[in-house]
Amino acid sequence: MAQLYVVQSADFLFLLQQTQMTPGNLSAHLSKLEDAGYVEVTKEFIERKPHTALALTKKGRVAFKEYRRKVKQFVEKLPE
Amino acid sequence: MNNEPDLKKIERRAYMSYHQDGLLDIFAGVYILGFGLGIFMDIIWEFGFGAIMPAILIATVLPIWIVAKRKITMPRIGFVNFGLRGANKITAVFIGMMVAGLAAFFAFTFATSQSGLRQWLDLIVQNGMLIVGFGTLAVCILFGYSMGLKRLYAYGLLALIVLVIGHFVGIFFAYIIMALGTTVMVAGFALLIVFVKNFPLKGEKAIAE
Repeated sequence: MAQLYVVQSADFLFLLQQTQMTPGNLSAHLSKLEDAGYVEVTKEFIERKPHTALALTKKGRVAFKEYRRKVKQFVEKLPE
Repeated sequence: MNNEPDLKKIERRAYMSYHQDGLLDIFAGVYILGFGLGIFMDIIWEFGFGAIMPAILIATVLPIWIVAKRKITMPRIGFVNFGLRGANKITAVFIGMMVAGLAAFFAFTFATSQSGLRQWLDLIVQNGMLIVGFGTLAVCILFGYSMGLKRLYAYGLLALIVLVIGHFVGIFFAYIIMALGTTVMVAGFALLIVFVKNFPLKGEKAIAE
């Protein structure tokens, strides 16, 4: 989600290179995020080749921001 | 322990991975080389050619750059749209530089026409190479910082060193510009070779979407 948060959209190959995950693992993650409504998958044709673009939805961005806030809060509460 | 993802780092890594193909360097090198050749052939100063030459170079280089990105970079590392955030940063640097340049130009023109500061103009012409050298370094630092491309610092430093040497030794300006263009272009090709080796084309079956 962090990878998609910093860009507007990216394709599967780009996320694969950036996350260093296996295709199957990444695909499973993305399916779960799509089911939760956090990731939007757009299938299109570029130069007659199928292309899958992935982007965070508004709901996904809000959820990620909330996750960051909670993690920050949790870390701040930890004793020195 | 901090589980919070470093978004700046992730964003920078994504941006840098997209510009590690050397295409930017190759085309910047061609652009500089073209400019140097223009000076060498003495056509840049004539018939307003100097004014339209950058536009001609951009009009020819930009479409090739876009096609090269599509044919070389995207099949290897994928496609990414950085949106307006990345573009805004570069646009801000561009606009800032243009405004600063125009302001300096008008201020200088006004000052030289008002009070006999003609000697300043002569001084600038005499030390043109030094000014171009420091200007190039400043531009490279600005773009290198805003784009997160550290190799631009090296190019800026190289340009400054070569131009300072050229100024004191008395080397023809066009030779220096052509040498710089060639160096940047060769560095770009080296980066491209490394990029192609590091990111070989994967068959469509290898990546099950």
